[in-house]
Amino acid sequence: MKMISSVLGNIQGIEIYYIIGLLLFVAFFVVIVIRTLRMPSKEADHIKNSILNDNEIMTPSNK
Amino acid sequence: MEDQKVIYDNKTVKLFILATLVWGIVGVLVGIVIALQLRFPAFNFGLEFTTFGRVRPVHTNAIIFAFVGNAIFAGVYYSMQRLLKTRMFSDLLSKFHFWGWQLIIVLAAVTLLLGFTTSKEYAELEWPIDILIALVWVAFGVNMIGTTVIRRVQHIYAAIWWYIATFVGVAILHIVNSFELPISLFKSYSLYAGAQDAVVQWWYGHNAVAFFLTTPFLGLMYYYLPKAAERPIYSYKLSIIHFWSLIFLYMWAGPHHLLYQALPDWAQALGVTFSVMLIAPSWGGMINGLLTLRGAWDKVRDKAELKFLVVAVTAYGMSTFEGPMMSIKFVNQLTHFTDWTIAHVHIAGMAWNGGIVFGMLYWMVPKLFRTKLYSEKLANAHFWIATLGILIYAIPLYWSAITQWLMLREYTPEGFLAYPNFLETLTQILPMYTFRIIGGTMFLIGFFLMVFNLAKTMKAGSMVAQEEAYAPVLVELGARDPKKESMHRFLERRSVRFSVIAFIVLAIGGAVEIIPMTFVKSNVPTIEAVKPYTPLELAGRDLYVSEGCYNCHSQMVRPFRWETDRYGEYSKIGEFVYDHPFQWGSRRTGPDLARAGVIGGPMYKNAAWHYNHFMDPQKMNEQSIMPKYPWLAEKDIDLDIIPAKIRAMKKLGVPYPEGFDKIAVDDLKKQAAVIVADLKASGITADPGKQIIAMIAYMHKLGRDISTPAASDSANAPAKVVVESLPNTPADLTAGKEIFGKLCASCHGPEGKGLATFPNLTDDEWIHGNTPTDVVNTITNGYPVKGMLPFKNQLTEQQIKQVASFTLNGLKK
Repeated sequence: MKMISSVLGNIQGIEIYYIIGLLLFVAFFVVIVIRTLRMPSKEADHIKNSILNDNEIMTPSNK
Repeated sequence: MEDQKVIYDNKTVKLFILATLVWGIVGVLVGIVIALQLRFPAFNFGLEFTTFGRVRPVHTNAIIFAFVGNAIFAGVYYSMQRLLKTRMFSDLLSKFHFWGWQLIIVLAAVTLLLGFTTSKEYAELEWPIDILIALVWVAFGVNMIGTTVIRRVQHIYAAIWWYIATFVGVAILHIVNSFELPISLFKSYSLYAGAQDAVVQWWYGHNAVAFFLTTPFLGLMYYYLPKAAERPIYSYKLSIIHFWSLIFLYMWAGPHHLLYQALPDWAQALGVTFSVMLIAPSWGGMINGLLTLRGAWDKVRDKAELKFLVVAVTAYGMSTFEGPMMSIKFVNQLTHFTDWTIAHVHIAGMAWNGGIVFGMLYWMVPKLFRTKLYSEKLANAHFWIATLGILIYAIPLYWSAITQWLMLREYTPEGFLAYPNFLETLTQILPMYTFRIIGGTMFLIGFFLMVFNLAKTMKAGSMVAQEEAYAPVLVELGARDPKKESMHRFLERRSVRFSVIAFIVLAIGGAVEIIPMTFVKSNVPTIEAVKPYTPLELAGRDLYVSEGCYNCHSQMVRPFRWETDRYGEYSKIGEFVYDHPFQWGSRRTGPDLARAGVIGGPMYKNAAWHYNHFMDPQKMNEQSIMPKYPWLAEKDIDLDIIPAKIRAMKKLGVPYPEGFDKIAVDDLKKQAAVIVADLKASGITADPGKQIIAMIAYMHKLGRDISTPAASDSANAPAKVVVESLPNTPADLTAGKEIFGKLCASCHGPEGKGLATFPNLTDDEWIHGNTPTDVVNTITNGYPVKGMLPFKNQLTEQQIKQVASFTLNGLKK
């Protein structure tokens, strides 16, 4: 890979990748958890049940 | 509102189901063949196409991509149409996807057996097939995302998030890992070298597990488990949280396959941290699956499909706990390179992937064929025989891993390795391999029961290839009202945007792992002494790759005392800068070969030994399970391709001098002549144009560059120790006999009569003398260049005297 190996010169400060990565994950995770937990449970129940009545009740024979 | 007619495509689903059954049988059967090979080497059948090194990738690829792959597609095509209340986006793409995938499988099986391989595990296929895979995979992705666009429901259900992540994840992995420079239609070199290649490969390997064996299966679980249990999934909120954290975290964890290996510490730390964190989202999935059954456990008693699903989810929980534990460095010492890994992947593969597939098929096939399952009893029988088979498979292998690890690191009170010969540790665990064969066979019998049961079910029922259903037209809800709709709920209405975000999340993890490693120059400190492969060595290396030697032999000495004592100096990152691809291996069924070329080191064997060993390993070591490779002495080295190989390597940054490709063949012939002369000195007549010469050249290159060159035997021979007499009691002779069996018999034969060109110790001809002083000194310091190892680092003075005594007095003349 010699054609691209000069993009970054050395390993000094490489941990920044690692730290940024972890921070990104933590931030992303916290946002998702908070937003998800604030969702009303009733809505969630509706979503969960929606898949149980798919084609069976829709076919012409038993409609 | 007016309902619209929807016509589901059941035909494609059925085709994928049939393919699942056929390839599943083939994959498991091939698995049993390789299990037999590891126990009884005769099952290599003496053919180059059927050696373990070539067949093992056929097993892994057949199971992962053929059996599991087709099952995923069957499950996805069935559930997506019903979840989205629409036909698949394009019939043409469905057809192309199905037939393209089957073509890839057939091509894979044929080319792998012919020895066309890149040697990157689970990505062994050569570049033309890689391109075909990319095309078919994109067809699948377009078909799937297209289906989400033409759907008739407002939101895409959780199962489909996982399907989308699967498509995006595998696409990224496959493309990045397959960068290679083609040399001919069937040969290419990885664009990456050494440690970089290893990082990219195991980023791929680990995430192939994530995005081919985990995410699609969680998707299938989210659909088929609630359907089979007739209860909604336990928690929708949990599904959101664990979906995003799982796909985010998985991408970073690849380096846990390379712990204690020639990789910068930061990369190893990254792998460990994210692997341990992975327990949380993985268990989120397990909890969501198991708790779906709360209050409905009685159904598990009655329905075989639920039994399979429950065992699958439980095994998922166990494996995703075990995996992170194996990623902890200390534990990894034991689990890496041993059968622990094999047991781990089979618990996950047979119980989690297999269980979901079996459960799904037992539920789906009767639905598709509008009938009842032919026999619930047979399905239950399948369940029990498969579950027991898995345990009988895995438990002995865990046992074998612990046994071997304890043996490998055991030292005598004098401070020498208790089992210096790797083969002893292997011989000890062979009985466990018998259990593996039994476990695998039970799993196969269960599989046959299922095929019979499903075939009867299909025959009894009738499938409507174009099934009609009705669904209301989708009315676009438009922009999001923040008060009424959560962000995620909105995203579930925007499937393309959803896919793009999933891509970004995956790309971040991949980038953090790969970019620093690939781009930072100082990650790979070069070692001045390390020289590029000569044309002959390169030809040998390509044969090593093609024969699949890496399936059993690692080239990576970890920095443990018990490894450096057994193999030699630990491996450094700078040694591998010319290795396209890397050959570090992942399981040691045979000894490590990283130091096979270090003259005077514990792993060195001379040309004559290698020649005889390739021809018939069992002649050299009765207990050896290595296949015979006599065709290496018959087949010619392909000289026509050598200049192209040198040019390709040069393009990849290997510093061959200008115009070297033109003289490469001459260089090769010159080096071959030296090896042939060496063989001749040992009484072996060999043709310099044959592959075995290249293999010997490659063996002698391994580790040679970083070792200090041994001068001629006489120049650096240590002073002779004078020995007056040898210990002669029966106890001494017994001890000497035991050592002789362990260390000497592999060259001099179990009775000391010599093997091939190795001296007979029972006749009157003594090359280096037969006084006690001569024999003790020969054993102590050896004659490395001739192939006689120095044993002073493996045996105490007393032991050397005992074995010398046995040699002179105990062997039958």
